Amino acid sequence: MNDPLDDLLDARLRDETPYIDDAGFTGRVMKQLPHRRVSWSSLRSFIILAATILSVVVAYFASGEGMFVHDAFARISGLQQLQLFLVIVGCGITMTIAGLWVALARRHETIF
Amino acid sequence: MELTDGDLLARVLVDGDQHAFGELVRRHQSPVRGLLRQLVRADVELADDLAQETFIRAYKHIRSFRGEAKFSTWLYRIAYNVFREHARKRRELVGIDEKQLQAEADPQTVDPGLRHDLMNALASLPLHERTAVTLCCQNGLSHDEAAHVLDIPLGTVKTNVLRGREKLKKMLAAWAT
Repeated sequence: MNDPLDDLLDARLRDETPYIDDAGFTGRVMKQLPHRRVSWSSLRSFIILAATILSVVVAYFASGEGMFVHDAFARISGLQQLQLFLVIVGCGITMTIAGLWVALARRHETIF
Repeated sequence: MELTDGDLLARVLVDGDQHAFGELVRRHQSPVRGLLRQLVRADVELADDLAQETFIRAYKHIRSFRGEAKFSTWLYRIAYNVFREHARKRRELVGIDEKQLQAEADPQTVDPGLRHDLMNALASLPLHERTAVTLCCQNGLSHDEAAHVLDIPLGTVKTNVLRGREKLKKMLAAWAT
């Protein structure tokens, strides 16, 4: 049988642990946190953006100031209505799959 | 659905999300501040300063958290180390004797009127017993977890809890009669 004093002590110790109200404590801690450093994910996004812009500029000058774009539009305008529709739907599906893939990969990253 | 500590930690680690860390502070501030109030004998301002230092240190070293223990246990360990550093500095400044800091107030010298209050009785325990009793009996840590927090052998934790409880029971018995 338990010592009644043990039970009394356990009960009193538990009772003597009140919840301490935050009362601005978290805010004070947050103000004192060191500035966040640039994370690898932000740096990665910046590198991809910079590489894309550089590639576009190089491709523009290397292709005779974008004549290939002009040619591509001319080819597209020559397509039949059904072919044009399939190209547009294909592009839409590809973009949707890419977006979903990125979103799911990001969600997976945040779970231990 | 409320995010778990693990989800919030992942956000802090992967995205540097300070809001996620703020949520962790909000969740754990009460037990951490409560532990430090016990350690510094209810000096609320000092305990809150040490608690702030605890969370700032946790944020700076969050990558060293391996997930081997619960996040709360890891925080208690940092809090205890912050308290020990503070106690060491205080000793250096005012030249308090090591034995005096360990033994602190002798329960026999406590005003009998204060024995009616368990918190005062707890505060009168030597530091190592008070810490062990607070972690295990108030904050609900297992002996293993408390040994990890205090960085002492498991047997020592059990002894400190047992001795602390015996002293508290004596004081409580006097109060009950």
